[in-house]
Amino acid sequence: MTRKIAFYGKGGIGKSTTQQNTAAAMAHFHGQKIFIHGCDPKADSTRLILGGKPQESLMDLLRLKGVQKVTNDSVIRKGYEGIQCVESGGPEPGVGCAGRGVITAIDLMDKNGAYTDDLDFVFFDVLGDVVCGGFAMPIREGKAQEVYIVASGEMMAVYAANNICRGLVKYAKQSGVRLGGIICNSRKVDREQEFLEEFTSAIGTRMIHFVPRDNVVQRAEFNKMTVVEFNDEENQAREYGELASKIIKNEDFVIPDPLTMDQLEAMVVKYGLAD
Amino acid sequence: MPATIHPRERPGIINPIFTCQPAGAQFASIGIKDCIGIVHGGQGCVMFVRLIFSQHFKESFELASSSLHEDGAVFGALDRVEEAVDVLLMRYPKVRVVPIISTCSTEVIGDDIDGVVRKLNEELLPRKYPGREVHLVAVHAPSFVGSMVSGYNVAVRDLVQHFAGRTEPNGRLNLLTGWVNPGDVTELKHLLAEMEVDATVLFETEEFDSPLMPDKSGVSHGETTVEDLRSLGDAVGTVALNRYETTLAAEYLEQEFGIPTVSGVTPIGIRNTDTFLQRVKNLTGKEIPRSLVIERGRALDAITDVAHMFLADKRVALYGNPDLVIGLAEFCLDMEMKPVLLLLGDDNPNYDDDPRIRAMLEHVDEMEIVTNADLWELERRITQENLELDLIMGHSKGRFVAIDSQIPMLRVGFPVYDRAGYFRHPVMGYAGATWLAESIANTLFADMEYKGMKEWVLNVW
Repeated sequence: MTRKIAFYGKGGIGKSTTQQNTAAAMAHFHGQKIFIHGCDPKADSTRLILGGKPQESLMDLLRLKGVQKVTNDSVIRKGYEGIQCVESGGPEPGVGCAGRGVITAIDLMDKNGAYTDDLDFVFFDVLGDVVCGGFAMPIREGKAQEVYIVASGEMMAVYAANNICRGLVKYAKQSGVRLGGIICNSRKVDREQEFLEEFTSAIGTRMIHFVPRDNVVQRAEFNKMTVVEFNDEENQAREYGELASKIIKNEDFVIPDPLTMDQLEAMVVKYGLAD
Repeated sequence: MPATIHPRERPGIINPIFTCQPAGAQFASIGIKDCIGIVHGGQGCVMFVRLIFSQHFKESFELASSSLHEDGAVFGALDRVEEAVDVLLMRYPKVRVVPIISTCSTEVIGDDIDGVVRKLNEELLPRKYPGREVHLVAVHAPSFVGSMVSGYNVAVRDLVQHFAGRTEPNGRLNLLTGWVNPGDVTELKHLLAEMEVDATVLFETEEFDSPLMPDKSGVSHGETTVEDLRSLGDAVGTVALNRYETTLAAEYLEQEFGIPTVSGVTPIGIRNTDTFLQRVKNLTGKEIPRSLVIERGRALDAITDVAHMFLADKRVALYGNPDLVIGLAEFCLDMEMKPVLLLLGDDNPNYDDDPRIRAMLEHVDEMEIVTNADLWELERRITQENLELDLIMGHSKGRFVAIDSQIPMLRVGFPVYDRAGYFRHPVMGYAGATWLAESIANTLFADMEYKGMKEWVLNVW
């Protein structure tokens, strides 16, 4: 059965990078069939898989040609290891309603039968925080069943992760969505791993993997590639391979128990980050 | 000039032909017995729609609003839906069906009406209303998509999807009428009864023509029951009359239960009614009885009395629901009239795929079809482009174009609020063909007398 998973996390945390590298590792090392649906109006969730090829977003096509012209063939591109990619796209910053774009795009792909049964995984890569109903679309009924939150040991990243959990709790009951864990995309801040482990256990989940910081990620990005494609011998490629395998084998799905602001502040003080 | 089809070129809409999707969903909702829809949006989304239903039928209908306010738009307003369902069920102990109809505002903020239905089914209903049968049906009807026509189509599909099941074949025919008047339902049921065909009708709206009874009950209801809806999967066939209003539900029944389906017949005029009866015959194996041949003959006789002498060559403009407009245009052609302008009010880009439209484009000499049109398209052609017209056929929203330009107008479609009792008359079937031909003639006669144009002819007719 196809597992549909959504990646959330604070803006700039490396969510799309982690998501694409994980997808590439899943396909390359574990032979999984993947579909990536980018739900960010910036439409940059599939760049590394497609080798930087600009992809006309679904919403662009809808705006220019009308909803009838949005077919699977016209919006899905295949990239590295046959990974299928679609970008929702959306309005320029400051205008329109990007959240509505996410709703429309996912509904359309669902209706067009794009998420076929032969896929092992569908990834939804979602912009920043769950700021409105639209960005919660991937975790609504019948869409993604698992959520992974990308975070680091910085206070704002943990704060955002906690907020996302609050959104998730809202939908957990009615849609059955569960948290699969928190991925630490390391920023090399002090006691990062300890802090995240304490935070994740406090909210009732676990840190599924600690992805160390490595400049090869940037080098690969400059070459419009994931690390796995750039050089699968690299240590970092193996790290993503391990994260991929942990997600594939994951059976630990929970409804998180987010912290109050006071609890969160106390934890931040304990780890000396609020100085 | 050859026949053409093209979308409105001017940006902006002046005097729209249609209202929006939630209106269509609400029209479907009032066709069901023991059903009150909750429209999740601002109060106007219900208030103006109820008003237009009341104006058309001169009756009152029950529809509820979640009454979205500023705070709901910011924080999400599903709590108001939960409260609305609770209040409705408390206040109306007989209610069994509650469609929850979204609108533009609640679709944009992303309120998850499917999720709230599940939540209410798991929490409120078993806790507070144990043992009571209640069906909550989510209907997505953002106004920025389609029109009241597509809203009706979507709502009928969602209701059918929710209820239709399969037990054992019941030998009945599913009749999905589309957005029609009670008079049409009466006529369609009459035709099927003459053929001895039992039908489940979506929707039984004859009661919209409500009697004033001694108990002073003041609200009108449709009569299609939950049991009717459940039995749809057991039918021998489905006839979906209006392509743009019932196709989604018919397709669902066909795919889910393998029910043979005939879609897109709008039985307006003699030849379309003939086709309708032939299709019913093919699906059910029942013969067309002599009684209907007599009715057909009577309609032909009525038409012959007026068509060649008074209707031939009269230039007509038509606007309204697409299936109605197409059916009327075909009828006009059969009357030797010239339907020179057809206005279709929504932005559906697939009208030129419609075989009926394609046939007219191929065979008619002078006909302009404007899609995504408004009533200014009509007014501008009359006042600025000297479009010559002898008759306008459409709903009451265009009455001022007709009055100002002194062109006679026959009210058809929805809404008609400036003539009495029109919802009682069919435009479908042989009775509809008779009514249309005679009403067109009488409209023209009144105009001849009013303007003093050859009114003496009627003396020697």
